[in-house]
Amino acid sequence: MQWPPAVAVLVTAVMASGLRGQVQIPGDGVLPEAHLPKVTPVPAQSPFKPLDLTAFQLAVRALGGTALQVKTFAEEAVEVGPARAGDGLLRMVLPSFDVAVTAAEGGDPNAALLLAKVLVDAESKVVQAHARYHLARVFLDSDDPERALKVLDDYLAQTLNVSPLDSEVAYLYAQSLAEIPMIDAAIPRFRAFLAWFPDASERLRSTAHQRILELERQRESRLHMLADGMKKTTRDLQKRKTDKPVQRDQETYIEELDYLIEMFKEMENQSSGAPSGNGPSSNPASNSSLAKGDGSVGELKKRPSLADRWGPMRDSERKKIMADVQSTMPPQYRKMLEDYYKKLGKADRK
Amino acid sequence: MPVSAELKMLKFLQERVNKETKQVEALGAASKAQQGDYDQVSRKQSRVKSLMRRLAEKLGEQDAGEEGK
Repeated sequence: MQWPPAVAVLVTAVMASGLRGQVQIPGDGVLPEAHLPKVTPVPAQSPFKPLDLTAFQLAVRALGGTALQVKTFAEEAVEVGPARAGDGLLRMVLPSFDVAVTAAEGGDPNAALLLAKVLVDAESKVVQAHARYHLARVFLDSDDPERALKVLDDYLAQTLNVSPLDSEVAYLYAQSLAEIPMIDAAIPRFRAFLAWFPDASERLRSTAHQRILELERQRESRLHMLADGMKKTTRDLQKRKTDKPVQRDQETYIEELDYLIEMFKEMENQSSGAPSGNGPSSNPASNSSLAKGDGSVGELKKRPSLADRWGPMRDSERKKIMADVQSTMPPQYRKMLEDYYKKLGKADRK
Repeated sequence: MPVSAELKMLKFLQERVNKETKQVEALGAASKAQQGDYDQVSRKQSRVKSLMRRLAEKLGEQDAGEEGK
């Protein structure tokens, strides 16, 4: 591959200045394009409305919540934030939901099935919203951001503005895009979250700020971008996608590697030894690292790997989960969960 | 090892993954692909990704070290 003259001039100048570690490698780098989900642009106006606390409390009362539980929620909402307090209230009122969320928090492979059951059985939009939120988190924690995004799209389309989880969902949506990686779509979503939810927990807001900075740095590091793309392609291959769009992504990795090889060769030739840096990277993180603190629902850090727990389960337990998926789920969730558990099985064999 | 040499090795490994992906696709088109074929090629792609990430992080750390001097 021919190295553009402008690049040669730039590298020469930078090498001469002794600022090798700060070389800006020009160009946009590569990101995968195969089988990316369709994402609508961020709307100019926020689709989120302030939580109607009275409506939420009435919905919980209709589910069997007591007056005391609802009163306690109002007090806790002031203390720990409405999202966490609301989720806690729903867990108290609905034992099946509590079991499902507990399973998710413990990294139990049953969690996706249990949450999907809650979702399918629920007539209340509030319950559906909370089940979708936790299901999306389970998928995201299992390195399946595409499936998480699909569930969050359903949340936005069907259960918007009924639960105190809206701010968490807006954050999770951006996070899912970042993990795919659809960096150019993720950054405006994080910014929108910050603009639309000035009262969201400080923990989420500071993490969103941090993620924007990380993603902007990541976008400037061509080697990290390449690794991100390969991660996406690994997931495609796990999902039995080997078609032309995936092959095209793989070809772009070769083209990018050719370009980087030429660039580094030139830098090495102009110095006495190997270059000590690839320039733009300031070592951006490949994953989010959330600040500690109160105010959001559960722990947003990576949980114990579900794949790790799926492996040691007895065959009979795994078969029972799959049988439950096939016998109890409506078609749209059956397919989603079958694919999810197949992927979990493959991840475990790595 | 010079960075360009490490990148060449990664290119070699990625080329092998690309070739294998095409083979699995052809097998799939003939309904002869096994689950193990997909598992194997995704494992290899994951390996190249991990090596690429490690190289990117190593270079980033060196950058940070130089900036701190």
